Amino acid sequence: MSDLFHSYDHGRFYDEMFAGPGRPRPHYQRLFDRFGRMDSMSDLLERQRTADQTFVNRGVTFTVYSDTAGTEKIFPFDLIPRIVPAHEWAVLEAGLTQRMQALNLFLTDIYSEQRILKEGVVPAEMVNTSKHFRREMMGFAMPRGLFVHINGTDLIRDESGAYRVLEDNLRTPSGVSYVLENRQVMKRVFPNLLRDYRVRPVETYANDLLNLLLHLAPEHVPEPTVVLLTPGVYNSAYFEHSFLARQMGIEIVEGSDLVVENDRVYMRRSNGLAPVHVIYRRLDDDFLDPTVFRPDSLLGVPGLVGAYRKGNVALCNPIGTGVADDKAMYYYVPRMIKFYLGQDAILHNIETFLSSDPKDLSYILENLPKLVVKSVNEAGGYGMLVGPHSTAAQIAEFRAKVIANPRNYIAQPTIGLSRCPSVCDTAIEGRHIDLRPYILNGETIKIMPGGLTRVALRKGSLVVNSSQGGGSKDTWVLADDDQVQSQTQGGPEKLIV
Amino acid sequence: MLSRVANLVYWMARQLERAENTARIVDVNAQLVLDLQSRQAADDPRSWEPLVFVAGNDEKFFELYGKTVSERAVVEFMLFDRRNPSSVLSCVSQARENARCIRDLLAAEVWETLNTFYLKLKDDDFARYAQLGSSEYLNRVKAQIQLFYGVAESMLPRSDEWWFFQLGRYLERADNTSRILDVKYYMLLPEVAAVGTALDMIQWGSVLRSCSAFEAFRRSRRGQLNLERVVDFLVRDELFPRSILYSVAEMEQALLRIVNGDDHLIGNPASLAATTLRQELESTDSPAVISDGLHEFLDLIQKRIDEIHAAIQSTFIDYPTSRAKILA
Repeated sequence: MSDLFHSYDHGRFYDEMFAGPGRPRPHYQRLFDRFGRMDSMSDLLERQRTADQTFVNRGVTFTVYSDTAGTEKIFPFDLIPRIVPAHEWAVLEAGLTQRMQALNLFLTDIYSEQRILKEGVVPAEMVNTSKHFRREMMGFAMPRGLFVHINGTDLIRDESGAYRVLEDNLRTPSGVSYVLENRQVMKRVFPNLLRDYRVRPVETYANDLLNLLLHLAPEHVPEPTVVLLTPGVYNSAYFEHSFLARQMGIEIVEGSDLVVENDRVYMRRSNGLAPVHVIYRRLDDDFLDPTVFRPDSLLGVPGLVGAYRKGNVALCNPIGTGVADDKAMYYYVPRMIKFYLGQDAILHNIETFLSSDPKDLSYILENLPKLVVKSVNEAGGYGMLVGPHSTAAQIAEFRAKVIANPRNYIAQPTIGLSRCPSVCDTAIEGRHIDLRPYILNGETIKIMPGGLTRVALRKGSLVVNSSQGGGSKDTWVLADDDQVQSQTQGGPEKLIV
Repeated sequence: MLSRVANLVYWMARQLERAENTARIVDVNAQLVLDLQSRQAADDPRSWEPLVFVAGNDEKFFELYGKTVSERAVVEFMLFDRRNPSSVLSCVSQARENARCIRDLLAAEVWETLNTFYLKLKDDDFARYAQLGSSEYLNRVKAQIQLFYGVAESMLPRSDEWWFFQLGRYLERADNTSRILDVKYYMLLPEVAAVGTALDMIQWGSVLRSCSAFEAFRRSRRGQLNLERVVDFLVRDELFPRSILYSVAEMEQALLRIVNGDDHLIGNPASLAATTLRQELESTDSPAVISDGLHEFLDLIQKRIDEIHAAIQSTFIDYPTSRAKILA
């Protein structure tokens, strides 16, 4: 047995690597053997330092708003990959594709006939009270009939190892640049292991994204110009914006670079005004156009929505997708799948209680210390209560908030997310992880094999967000499981979904 | 390219060129002080005071450091003080900030070179400078910037970003070379009688070396090292890449490439101003300039360069949208 895993505490959670103490799962056997050949922890820490330095030198950083001294941090990276066998990925891919189809149909419906509301499958007040429902978009003929183009769906595994959907991110999901950079670093640090495992490549993502954006351009434009609209260099995801623009070979623009004249969008170039046809915007709806949404926004482009409505420019994601990733709307996604596709959901949600439902509300209020309570519109791990990790005062504070505004909260049981071995200061220890695959909805639905595995590096923490001390791992989706089975007796484990 | 991005590239180049020349200005002064030979003179506050005026930052300096001018105060102010926007650290930091905004345009190695340099520089201080000695320390700083230019030169495509880079770099260099010449002027001011002495020659040698111009000067100008010849060389040499004339001619070329035959940009104010300045420099009579006052002449050049800068801004960067040309 490898020294490095000698004192590994398997814990009471689902462990991605170990079926039991000292017994790696079949698809981790090769990595287990490889790590067994390392001399000591210091060998591993040396590789970890090499990887960290590579990130610093490449400037793969994110910005922390509150930190004025050194505003750039690297998103901590953990060397031990999360490995997903091919048969497991096939199920995830089917489930995510199904979910994307249903969400696209839901958004199409919500901004036109609203059949799903009329038939009572989703309560109309859920839509009408949603902060992200955009009445301005009612009846709008969306280019190519695509009402949502990119989704980052967060998945977790519970104590039994079953995959569950945690939430959808249908506005401006971020993190994909880390997936691509993590792979580059792993290629340097573990080239042989990566090759021997036959890991599916992620590198076509930028090309797939560019094809999607070109697909959205107004049909009469022979050579459309695509740009990426960023809030600016001080945005926490700026590295990603710049990275993706560079990978796609498109211009990265700020609001002040764009002007609208006669309902057409132009960018200010040194020699004059150049037409723009597709905008991959990494800016929330609220900030896009101060003449329509928030008048105090300096980030947006006055007149942009007018040009959009005239069909002169395409936006990705479209305006108004947020109505479907509201954490309360999440509750209804399995019903949407049934309603629009006539299918049962392949990927299940986490059991969810809606504070807006009187029965659920009384359950929530009675069980707050056991539950996770989330504000429906917040992201990034903000505005949530993790009952078992909170003080009585914090719980009391949330109780008051939930009672005051039930529509704004949902509750879920506290799930012990699966753990994956991670390189910690002195030893390898289990840390909780989740997974965000990226789903592109263009001419066809394309899903990058894998996605961003986020890891809660603080001991015991269940919150994986980068703003809350989270890091990431490379995600290895295997091209086939032959290699895995050939090494072990018996077939792969049964996948529970 | 985007106007905003053009401006970022232009300023990135200016800031790096300024950082390099600030290192050169400190270097020439450290050498001049050494050449004074007497230890007493070297400690004389007046030996370092001129730098503060030449860099055009005297008010800021006196506000931050009071009236006592020491080597330490000047070196800290010019190299490491973030409160001085023209210090080497401020310039490199701003250049890196600009580069960060345009990383999508830069090859990864171009960014990494600058980022690595900045990360090393930001922890340096006067102690480090004193420990290595001025000449060794400043050589390292210059070498890092030269490394950046080398990497950029071999990797940036010769499209607009390159020409705005060149434009900023040579505009700043023209200005800075005039300031380096001015250091010597300030230095000599109290003792005009020293002209033509051995010390005078040594000092002009130092000025040339700080522009890496000593060898080039020796090859192109025969005869004695004196005020007139050195000024003529650094102001008007057509072949030496740090002379003012050469720098202005490069700016003119960069502008030509940026305009690139666009009808609506031919005859723009920036190009016209650069051409005019180049022609005037070509017909400048150095002896006359010296007898009329070198400092006043250099001041005038700096003013003209400022005007070119303003014309660049109003032509390519801050132009009014309503009157802008719509491109096909």
